[in-house]
This record gives sequence, structure tokens and C-alpha cells, in this order.
Amino acid sequence: MTAPRTGLLAGKAALITGAARGIGRTCATAFAREGADVLLLDAAGPVAGVPYRSGSASQLDHTAALCRDLGATVLVRQADIRDPGALRDAAREAHQRFGRIDVLVNNAGIAAPSGRAVHQYDEDEWEVMLDINLTGTWRGIRAVADYMTRQRGGSIVNVASTAGLVGYRHFAGYVASKHGVVGLTKAAALDLAPLGIRVNALCPGSVRDAPEAEGLMLSEIARALEIPVAEHEATFVRDQPTNELVEPDSIAEAAVWLASDRSRQMTGSVLTVDGGFTSR
Amino acid sequence: MSASGTEPPLVPGDRPSAAHCHALRVRLPAGTSADDVAAALSEAVRAWWPQDAPERLPRLWTERTPATAGALRAELYRPVAPGSRLRAVLFTGPGPGAETELVLTAHRADLDMASLRLVADVLLGRVPADRPRPLRPDWPGPRPSPPSRPDGDHAGPAAWAEGDPTAGTDTATLAVPVPATGGAGLDPALLVVATAVVQARYEGVERPVIGVLTVLPGRPESALGPFEGNVLVPVDVGGGRPAELVDRARQAITAPQAWCDPSTYAELTSGGHRVRAGVLAVPGGAGRQGPDGLPTVLPCLAGTFDLTLVPDRGAGGEDVLTVHHRLAEIDAGSAARFARHVVTAYTRLAAPAPEDRPAVALDIDLLDGAEREQLVRAGGPATTPEWPPYRLDEAFARQAARRPDAVALVCEGDSITYRELDSRAERMAVGLLAQGVTPGERVGLCLGRSPDLVVAMLAVLKADAVYVPMDPAHPADRLAYTAEDAGLRLVVTDVDALPATSARAVRPDEVAAAGADGTLAPPGRGPGEAAYVIYTSGSTGRPKGVVVPHRNVVALIDATREDFGLGPDDTWTLFHSSAFDFSVWEIWGPLLTGGSLVVVPYWVSRSPGEFRDLLVERRVSVLSQTPSAFAQLIEADRGHGRPLSLRLVVFGGEPLDTRVLRTWFDRYPESACRLVNMFGITETTVHVTAQTVTRREVLAGSRSVGPALPGWYLYVLDERGRPVPFGAPGEIHVGGAGVALEYLNRPELTAERFLPDPFRGGRMYRSGDRGRLWPDGRLEHLGRLDNQVKIRGFRIELDEIRNVLLDDPAVTAAAVLVAGEGAQDAAAARIDAYVVLDGDDTAAVRGRAATLLPEYMLPATVTALPALPLTANGKLDTRRLPAPAAVRRPPAPAAAVQDPPTARRHSRGPSAELSAQLAEVWEAVLGVPVGPDDNFFSLGGNSLYAVRVAAAMSARRLPALPMRELYLHPTVRRLARALAPAAEA
Repeated sequence: MTAPRTGLLAGKAALITGAARGIGRTCATAFAREGADVLLLDAAGPVAGVPYRSGSASQLDHTAALCRDLGATVLVRQADIRDPGALRDAAREAHQRFGRIDVLVNNAGIAAPSGRAVHQYDEDEWEVMLDINLTGTWRGIRAVADYMTRQRGGSIVNVASTAGLVGYRHFAGYVASKHGVVGLTKAAALDLAPLGIRVNALCPGSVRDAPEAEGLMLSEIARALEIPVAEHEATFVRDQPTNELVEPDSIAEAAVWLASDRSRQMTGSVLTVDGGFTSR
Repeated sequence: MSASGTEPPLVPGDRPSAAHCHALRVRLPAGTSADDVAAALSEAVRAWWPQDAPERLPRLWTERTPATAGALRAELYRPVAPGSRLRAVLFTGPGPGAETELVLTAHRADLDMASLRLVADVLLGRVPADRPRPLRPDWPGPRPSPPSRPDGDHAGPAAWAEGDPTAGTDTATLAVPVPATGGAGLDPALLVVATAVVQARYEGVERPVIGVLTVLPGRPESALGPFEGNVLVPVDVGGGRPAELVDRARQAITAPQAWCDPSTYAELTSGGHRVRAGVLAVPGGAGRQGPDGLPTVLPCLAGTFDLTLVPDRGAGGEDVLTVHHRLAEIDAGSAARFARHVVTAYTRLAAPAPEDRPAVALDIDLLDGAEREQLVRAGGPATTPEWPPYRLDEAFARQAARRPDAVALVCEGDSITYRELDSRAERMAVGLLAQGVTPGERVGLCLGRSPDLVVAMLAVLKADAVYVPMDPAHPADRLAYTAEDAGLRLVVTDVDALPATSARAVRPDEVAAAGADGTLAPPGRGPGEAAYVIYTSGSTGRPKGVVVPHRNVVALIDATREDFGLGPDDTWTLFHSSAFDFSVWEIWGPLLTGGSLVVVPYWVSRSPGEFRDLLVERRVSVLSQTPSAFAQLIEADRGHGRPLSLRLVVFGGEPLDTRVLRTWFDRYPESACRLVNMFGITETTVHVTAQTVTRREVLAGSRSVGPALPGWYLYVLDERGRPVPFGAPGEIHVGGAGVALEYLNRPELTAERFLPDPFRGGRMYRSGDRGRLWPDGRLEHLGRLDNQVKIRGFRIELDEIRNVLLDDPAVTAAAVLVAGEGAQDAAAARIDAYVVLDGDDTAAVRGRAATLLPEYMLPATVTALPALPLTANGKLDTRRLPAPAAVRRPPAPAAAVQDPPTARRHSRGPSAELSAQLAEVWEAVLGVPVGPDDNFFSLGGNSLYAVRVAAAMSARRLPALPMRELYLHPTVRRLARALAPAAEA
């Protein structure tokens, strides 16, 4: 038995940011189910300048426990992706423990400060949005690229958003940062293709706040727009041709596929999981 | 000597490599503190590798989860990060007193297994941390490559296994118990030899080279470092005594002289056989399992070689052979078979009593009774049909009685019913008796493809005699030889001048006339007696007659009747020469199943376009073809509107290259027309196996010729007549319903080739063909063991041609080769002869050979040499033979310089213009310069090239070229003259 675990990602090691809850947690458990070992990274605490509750250390530990239950070997790292050293240390640790790094899921990101017109943001608000969502994604790529280069293989999945493809009123910073992630994905794909590393963007539409995943994105957006969550949810359901919100599992399935060798000829692509929202 | 932190990793590409990692698992006393172990490790590694950056030093990873089997297994089989010296993982259960397991893993290029043990001893407190010293070995030779092939290549697909091309570098593992050792441990030297013995059998090699991982002799006891390396051990399985082989292997393992480096590798594998298998022979480094069944010592996490064999100790202390196999090359079933056979060979080599050990490696029988039984069963269908014991003429008579007015024969507008055929044959049979033919007497039939031929065959059988087909197209001397060898008193022929023999020639109509009034008594000889004798090429230099009884042909048709759906609605063709046994199938197939037989005139058989038209016109449904001929038919059929009515095509006579069939399937899907590839031998009555070919087989590049026909049995045996394992090459033997009676008047040859069938009783034919048998009963045909070749469906013994050349008084030495055989272009295959000659008239040599050899055996080129180049071993060195020269007459003064007057006179006429055009066409097709009097066939032309010449002529709007004209006028000048009137018209 040389492959003690089975699955689409058997024998692979993945680094997942923003893993405490939401899409990050769902990706982590999906990866564990498919045989990957994971390093879970999250700020796991309040993030300065972000007006809503971030994931907690307890939530991150819970994600780790779920993954261990699925047979994965798990490393947990509490770190802010604005700290370049922290990301580098996490990558080194994953490499030493697992012997390899095959996948990075660049998932950590924020949706607010938002909720006002483009000219109404102040410098710090604009700065924190781009620093976490766009520059953080770049820092993740930088931290793992050397390991993947030496391995001559790897898959990087950047979690962007439909806001990376179309505009949303009163979300200029978020939209700009996610468009940046899509552009970064394409540029990185070109740079890294000769090294055997694939980079793709995954654009979720409006994802339901699933209680088991403890995601809060939808309600935080509603809060930023100062409308009731139920009303906001209803608006999105109406706007999605499939007449339902996207489930976190659907995003995780797409991430598994992008991480796996099944998508081995795909790089620089944008995979949209939005119930048809951007097809209008 | 000391370790250096900047030492580059030895593994190419810096990939994490399971194959080069090993692991050790140690149980620590309950209650061991993880912090204490972490501190001990941290202190030790700082002392051992002070120059390493702190964050790069190994640390203890603590998993505060129970050491479940899943978690332990995942950890044991996880390679270390490239550049990491060591990984240490401690499992401590959540509660106090939980079991504590330590897993240490390292890359072999950093730490060997002895080093890992030393590290474990330090962490367990058995050895002080300052005792071990990090050392790089001082190797006695070139720096050893990592324990794998230096060039990173694998041996390539294993022909005896089914690889999965999509598997990449994935490996799988299996284990086979070794009861014979009694738990004393596997002897690595014996294991190396046992592996070599099995590989030699599986791959047909005399001296396999086995990769052996061993340890540097004199390794310092307290050293931490990489002291394991690979040596390559050639094992002369074909030559040495087993005991010597084992001694030599032991020497190589315990006192290695040369470590594996690229030059050693290249030198030892220069014969083309790469290293397939490796054996882990590190003394004391065998694998071991704990009571939980999980490894405590894991010598490699995956295999380095296509097959990596690792001695192992099971949970109960029993010896086990663990085999890692790369899935890209070897599937699990084949790997398990290989492993089992290694254990069998090992057991025989390790027999306690010396007298029980094999004297030579070939003595070792790899199979046990059950497997032998399985192999024998696989070679034949599960049920053995019971054939009604009919004679051929009897079986025909039943069809004639059932549907007397059905059409039996069609030839150029004439058709003959079963009733007419029966009565004409009866009349001729009476005529034969009137000519004095006696029961069992052999009667020659030297007739072209015609109704007379079929009538005469049936007549000979009705007269209770044996027919001997003779192809009128064969040279006179060959026909004379056949007549003499077969002891013919009578030859029925429509050829005017049959060569002078003691046999009397009679015309078919004379025989029929002689039998006009008589009646026929029922034959006295049974279905087990001879029906016909067909001559095949013989390596002794002379063709030999194969004697086939009635019942074999009846069984052949019965064996295929149901599966092929043969019946009265079918129309077949008589395409092949009666001297080629494919015609036996073509003739008796329809006549024993109520179908009708379309006789294809010789010239039509040579012209694919005309043949195609005939198939359409006659709505032929069952066609038998050699693949070469069928390829021409596909070309001729392309672009024609009216499709063929074929529902079954049977290939025979030569190996099928399925690639040509793709375009065929596009026009005629499998659902409309079934294609069946059949392997067969004259001595086993035309066919032996059948493989239906679909697009699936085409795309897979299948070389299978299918399983045996019902009633036929296949055995693939080694030179001692023992079955070889599934997938291993051996000599094809055929038993069952098709085995011929004998070679006529060749008792010694008969005894040599027709052997008692030890498996099912009866007799079996030793074919001289190589093949491999698969567990599902399919046979793969691998070609000949001897010099026999097939060109365009004709079975040819090169030695026969060579003997004919040597019989020429002017020739003192001769060599015969087939050229262009592997080429995709069947037309390019030709025979080249090289002769050492008194004088330089190669044309005369070829001319003489042409009187003895049929056209298909005649060398296309004859090249004179001062001497034949030989290898050091005295064999013909084919690489040093020059390119063949076209056959030339010695230059005649006038002809060489200018055209003779007659030609010049024609030079203003249309035929001269045509001559020039023809010469251009021939040169383009044949690729050689063409003079006006060069013979097309002497220049290397053959039937396939003839078709191309016709096509090229039609492309240039030159007169149509009936094949007959080319055969009758085989030079540019003569052909131009023959065709000129057409050009003028």
C-alpha cells in the first residue's frame, strides 16, 4: 500500500488560507476527503481595519479537527496574509512536514469596508482591501512558487469573485481587488507555466451563509449595504438565473478539480460558479 | 568526508521521491514525554549538523492523535522533503499512558538504514548523542548514482505485462509469502539469481542485468550518512551453474567492485536490454512488519525499478517477498505472477539437499501443477466439440443432396449447380479410376483457378485418392520436384508442356471423357486418411509435402460455421493459388456450407481494381485475403460509389498490421462487415486462431491473433517442452483437430515436428513460431524462431533460397536477406541476395534461380561480393553488407552505348515515346534507373509495385495496363510495343 489514502488529491499537500470558516473550511474538508494533507492558515482573530468579525482560533481548530477525522495530516498556522514572513514560514513548515507542496488555495479575503460610492473611501479603507485581497494573493503565490518550481508541478487556485468579472455598486474596492486577482492569475499563469505550475481563478457568485461552514460573507455584504440580510438574500436569489444561492460545497468541488491533475491542461483560466449570474 | 549543508541532493529534479526514501518505526515506552523526545532530537541534530540553518534542522513533529493504522501508514509511506535530512514524527495518543510511536524517514542519499537505527537509538536513550558521527562515505570507485538507473529511464513496456500508459510514475505493491526459508530470512544473493532466472524466461534474454542495492563494505558502525548504493549484477542464466551464479551474485553484493554509474550502466546494457528488476540486498536491511501488520522497517516506500523486489519479514515472523511495480509498465496480475515465480525459483535454488538443487538454471520449473493446468486450459476453448467424422466428399455430397440446384461455382459468366458439380466430379472420378488411380494414391492437379480445378479436387477425393495441388505459375523445375517427391504417376493439367517427369499428364476433359459411362463405388478410406498434400517451403532447401486428412478440413469448417454464420446465402471467392493452403479454406468453406464459390481468374487476382469490380458484381459476402492484398483492395475501393457486399473478411497468411483498417472501417463499419484475423499453419490445416478486429483493436494496436478455434489447442512451450508462464515468449505448439498426418516421406522431420501431445493426448505440431499466451486464451504471434519469413502472405524459408543459390556452380558463398520488411509499405518488402561469384554475371545467377524458385521467392537483387562480411563469431555481419545492386547483365558493347538499330527505327514511332514515359514511371515507382530491356521483376518489381505502375500510368493518361500485359511483357521496350496500338488508337 504505497498510496494509503485515495481520492482525487491522494498524496498531495495543500496550503489553504482563510481556512477557519466559510469557503476556506469547505475547501479544507473537501481536500481532506479527497486524500490531501493540509496546512490551514487563518488570521483567526480580529483584523485591523476590517469592520466585521473575522474567523477565530477555535473555528480554525474545528476545521483542523474535521480534516483529521477525514484522515488528513493537518498543520495549523495562525497568520495574517499581510505578513510576508508568516506566509513563507507556513510554506516551509508544510514542505518539511509533508515533503511537498502541491496546491495553494488563495482563499483569504475580505468583503468590507464597503457600502459607499467609489469616491467616498478613505486611504486606509482602500489600502486594507487591496492589501488583503490582491497583495495577499500575490504573497501566497510568492511563498509557494519556489517549492513548486523545484517539484516541477503545482496548482494555485485563487478565489476571486464574480466581482472580479463585473462591477457592483458601492463595492469599488472589493471589485477592483477581485478584478486584480483575475489579472494576477493570468499574468502568474504565463510566468509559471514553463515551470509546470498552474494558476487559475475561481469566481464564486453569491454563496449562502451555511451554518456548518460558519460563513458570513453574504450577511456582511448586506450589513455593508445597510439592508436586511433576508432582503439582500432575496435580491441575489432573484438575480441568479438558477433561482438559488450558490452552496459552499459547489465552490469546494470546483477547487478540488482545479487542484487535481484532472485539470492538468488548464491554466490562466477563470472558472465561474455563480448560478449563471454573469451570463446575463 | 564530513557532511556539508550545501551538498546538492542526489535526486534529479529535486522531486520528493518515495523510491529513494526509507522509514523506521519504533514504539516508545508508554508515557514517554513528547517534549523530552523533541528536546533530545533538537540537541542531537544541532551537534550533528552545526552548519545547518536552525530552521532547516530536523525537528520533532508531534501528532497528538492516536496512532491509528491509517495515520501510521500515511506517515510511513510519506517521502521526506527534498533537502531534509530526516523527518521524525511522534504519535502520542490524547490521554496519558497512550501508545507512543516514532516514525523516522530519510532519503537514502542522506542517511542509510543503519543511520536511521542510530538516530532511533539516540532518541530512545540507548546511545549517547555524541557517539554518532556524520560522515560521507569514501567510495572505492566512481561516485555512485542514486539507487536507480542513472539516466532515469525505465526498461520500457514489458511485453509480458500490461502497462497503463496513463499511470505516470505511480507504483503499486504486493507481497508473496516465502514458506521455504522457515523464517530464516531471504538470502539476497539467491534472490538476485532467482529474479534473473525468471526475467530470462519472461523476456527471452540469456544474461539479465539485475540492479542490486547494497551497502559499502566496512561501513563505520557509528557513522551517519549515505552508505548504500547500487551495483549492477549481470547473471549469466544461460551459461553458468546456479551455484556459481549465486556465488558471483554474493560477491557482487558483499564486496562490490563497481558501483552503478552511467558508464557501467551503458556498458552492461549495451545489448539493448535495460535493467528491468532490482533487488534490495542491504545486509540487515530487509523489511519487517510489526504485530499490527504495519512496517517497522520499510526499506523503500516505492520501487526504483519497473520491478523492485524487497525481502521482508511478516507480522508472524514469516518471510515475505514484497514487490513494488511501476504501473506504467507492469499490471498487478503480471507482477504477482512474476513474484510467485521468483519465489518458486528461489525455493528450488535454496533446496536443503544439494541433490535437489538444479544443475542448470533451465532445470528450474517455474510452474506448479495448478498453474500448468491453468495454462493448458487457457490454450483451448472450454468445451471440446465432437465432429461428425465425415470425409470431404461425403460432407460435400450432403450439401449437394440438400440443395442440388443451388449455385456451387461461378466463373466468368458460367455457373455450375451443386448437382452439376457433383456429377462432373463423379464422371471425372470414374475417369481417374479408369486411368488406374488406386485408393490413397496421390494425383497431381496442375490447374489454374478454374471450375476444372474444383471439379478435379472433388473427383480425386471421390476416387478415394489424394490430391496434390501444383501451381502452373511455378517454375518447371519446382513442379518437377513436386511430382517426383510426391511420387505422382498422374497429373491432371491443362498446361501444354508439363516438365519432363515420370508422371503422366492428362487433360481434365480427357479424364472426364474416360469416365463418361462408369459408376463409382463408395470410397474405402475413412475420414482420418489423407485428402491432400500441400508443399511448403522447407529450410533444408527443398519444399516438403504436408499430408492433411479429410476430417481436419471438415473440423475447420465446423469450428467456424456457427461463429461466422456460414451458410447457403454466402458467396466466397477462390482467389489464392491452390498450392497455398488458404485456398483450402476458400474452396471447402462454401462447398461444405452450401454457399457458392466465385472463381477469380489469375489476372483478375493480380489487379485490385478488376477484383473489386468482380466482388461488387458477384455480391461476394465472404472474402479471404492476405493483409497485403487487402490493403490494395482498400486502395482500389476508395472513392467508388457502389459499395462491396462483404459481410465477413478473413485475414490469413501473414501478420496483420491493423493500421490500414481505419479507413476501411469508415466505409464499412464492424456492424456491416466483420473482420477476422486468423493465424494458421499449413501443418495445422489453414487456421488455428481467430481474432475479430474492430476499431478498438485498431486503435489499441493489438497484436493478438485471438484464441484457438474450437477443437484446436495452443501450447506455448519452452525448449524443454514445458509451458511458459502467461505473457512469456515460447514456441507455439498446436494440438487438436487440425494437426496434419505427416510430412510426406520425411519420417525424421515428421518425428521432429509432430510430437505426442502430453497435455491432452493425441499429437501436437511444433510450429517454429514464437508467441505468448494470455490468461484469457488469446495468442500473440511474435514471428519465427528460424529463418522463415513471410512476404505478401507467402511463407518463405530463406535457407531454401540460399541453398538454391549455392547449388549454382558459379556461386561459392551466398547470403539471403529480407529488406524493407518493417516498412509500412508492403510493396517495399523484397529479398536481397549476396553471392561470392566466379565471374560477375549476377543476372545468370538470378536466371538460374528463377527456374527453381517461384516468383515470390526470387531475390529482387543479386549482389556479387569478393567475400561475405562476418562478425567475430563467424556469423554473417549484415550491417557490413553494401546496399544491394540492381541485377545487371554484363555490358554488351552495343546495347549499353546506344539503342540497337531496331529500337532506333522505333524511336520515331509512338512506342518509343511510350517507352520513355514508361521508363519514367518505373523509375519513379521502383526508385532505380530503368533501361529499355530491364526486366520489371528483376528490378525489384512485384505485384504491389505493378499496381502502382498501373495507377501512375493512368494518372499520366497513358494506355490502361492490364496486369497480364506486364507479366507477359516485363520490359519497357516490350511493354511499350504491346501497348502502342492502344496508344495510337
